[in-house]
Amino acid sequence: MKIFNSIKWRLQIWYGLILVVVLAGFGFTAYQLERNRQFRRIDDELQRRVEFIAKGMHRPPPQRGSNDGEHPFDQPPPERFSDNGSSEQNQKALRDFLDSPQAQALFDNNNPNQFSYAIYPRGGIENAIEPQHRAGWWTVDMDVDDGKSIRVVQANTLPDLGKLGTPQTIGDFRGIVRRLPTGEAIQVHCTIAPELKELRLTALKLAGFGGIILFLGLAGGWWFVSRALRPIENISAAAVKISAGDLSQRINVAETESELGQLAAVLNSTFARLESAFAQQKQFASDAAHELRTPVSVMLTQAQTALNRERTAPEYRETVETCQRAAQRMRKLIESLLALARLDAGQEVLKRLPFDFSKAVSDCVEQLKPIAEERGVKIISELSPLEITGDSERLAQVVTNLLTNAIQYNLPDGEVRVKLESQNGLAVLTVSDTGAGISAEDLPRVFERFYRADKSRSTGGNGLGLAIAKAIVEAHGGMIEVASEENAGTTFRVRLPMT
Amino acid sequence: MRILIVEDEPDLLRSIAQALREEGYAVDTAPDGEDGFYKAENYDYDAIVLDVMLPKMDGWEILKRLRKIKKTPVLMLTARDQARDRVRGLDTGADDYLVKPFDLDELFARLRAIIRRSANKTTNIIEIGETKIDTALRNVSLKEKPVELTAREYALVEFLALHRGEVVTRTQLYEHLFDENECSLSNLLDVHVSNVRKKLGADFIVTRRGHGYCIE
Repeated sequence: MKIFNSIKWRLQIWYGLILVVVLAGFGFTAYQLERNRQFRRIDDELQRRVEFIAKGMHRPPPQRGSNDGEHPFDQPPPERFSDNGSSEQNQKALRDFLDSPQAQALFDNNNPNQFSYAIYPRGGIENAIEPQHRAGWWTVDMDVDDGKSIRVVQANTLPDLGKLGTPQTIGDFRGIVRRLPTGEAIQVHCTIAPELKELRLTALKLAGFGGIILFLGLAGGWWFVSRALRPIENISAAAVKISAGDLSQRINVAETESELGQLAAVLNSTFARLESAFAQQKQFASDAAHELRTPVSVMLTQAQTALNRERTAPEYRETVETCQRAAQRMRKLIESLLALARLDAGQEVLKRLPFDFSKAVSDCVEQLKPIAEERGVKIISELSPLEITGDSERLAQVVTNLLTNAIQYNLPDGEVRVKLESQNGLAVLTVSDTGAGISAEDLPRVFERFYRADKSRSTGGNGLGLAIAKAIVEAHGGMIEVASEENAGTTFRVRLPMT
Repeated sequence: MRILIVEDEPDLLRSIAQALREEGYAVDTAPDGEDGFYKAENYDYDAIVLDVMLPKMDGWEILKRLRKIKKTPVLMLTARDQARDRVRGLDTGADDYLVKPFDLDELFARLRAIIRRSANKTTNIIEIGETKIDTALRNVSLKEKPVELTAREYALVEFLALHRGEVVTRTQLYEHLFDENECSLSNLLDVHVSNVRKKLGADFIVTRRGHGYCIE
């Protein structure tokens, strides 16, 4: 299901669930509190009435030392129900009690709860609880004039209030049964229909409020989540375009403060680096192709010209020699490209052995001396004996590349100075020439692949020598730098760790 | 037809020059931009083969400067094959564009095409009376029969035919038929003209005394 895979929907569902639980809990608690409040009020009233009747019916005998002060009623209490008195006597006593003004005040039944009362003789309650014994019990049903009434209803219409002492709810009624120490039982109950109605209304209101809050919460949450996730949509839209090949795409970062904004910024810089890496790769491939095109053109033109008609042996020889030169050039280029590719990929496993670097440098100088003399360039070397750890062959290649450049770009009768010394635990090789120098504009780019300051192939190099030298030096943990002054000369300095 | 080749790779320069000479063109060469521009400025070449990457002055610069003074057809030769380079070349005023490595036959064909266009011709066949000149196959026929001409004689016929109706001076002919290394002996041209008349008819080339030659 797509909907459950969407973060937006999942967030919304979780959020909604939590909101429902919180609202339900809150609503239930509020309902319970209201219900308890209402019931406590009713229960208090029930207790008060039952207490009053009990006190009225059962006065402790004076000989027990009972204090009148603890009795809330000032008027003489009604006659005590006798334990074995007749029904008439008891009824009489009850009537007198009920006629007292306190009772009238209490029973002022202008009360929506319509309190009802039942008084059971001794032992009656147990039987009264059993429905089959209810019939035939005496009841007092008394109406008081001027609207104040007390109804003592028929026992057999009473709801079954099985448990004694605590208020109980049965249907729309709530009541309490109190057994007196003398054995009689008093039941007071009332209808709680108005309270229940009110509670239902409260419940409805709470549900309504809850619903509205849930709706508002979900809508707000949806809005907020959509807003928060919008950067993700931007990011994914940009990523889709980038994966389709348009590397120039960037994520539009409106809010840079949020986490997503930071993510977008990080992704943007990644995309920028990717783009430039791709561009460099593309440029490198195009440069490499470009470098191969010229020798291929030479071979093709030579071969096609030679094949156009019969040639003499010396002509063929010349053609073959030209083709060979072009092929050699391609071979050198391919070797350089391969060396660079290996250094790039880290596949070039450098031999790390201690060797005499000064000896290696002087060997390179000796090798290049004939070429230098041919061009009238003098090589002056000043080499301190120095042993370093590294790949002697690769480092010799660095020296050869630097020397070849120094000789090639020198003026006739110029000189090349090669100096090797140790400085602060580093081997420092300096190669300087007295050539035309490199312009400030070209200087930062001389280590770039295929970059040529003179824009032509006339010097025969392939534009990779310095790039390779740099890659080798850096693979040894060293660094290479260049300084140049136009019409004065160029100096390359290589610093290598000794171990 | 005299052509200038500006190319800094010596082997390539030499082999293109040789191939074009064998095709019957008079060929001048320049190994760098400055020399190339100097020659292009001072001679009326029928076409220039121009490399883009050159020392001293690059191909774009030569083309830009040359276009201010001359309409000489230029074929750019370069190792860059991206569309924007081609567009730039053509927009700067190059007449055609050839990417290295190329086939010699294609170079010849493109050269013929730009020379033909500069002479306002649309096909390789030029018909003059009963003489038919095929500039692609470099042969001439008279009344449907092939006529054997030497390379130099053919070049003379072709040049005059491309400039049909115009009076072509002897100097012009020397400039277009002989390259910078040949010494222009005046009677050499007369020999070629008389040979052509023998082969294609005495009236084929008309002499305008004091001015030059003309095909009417």
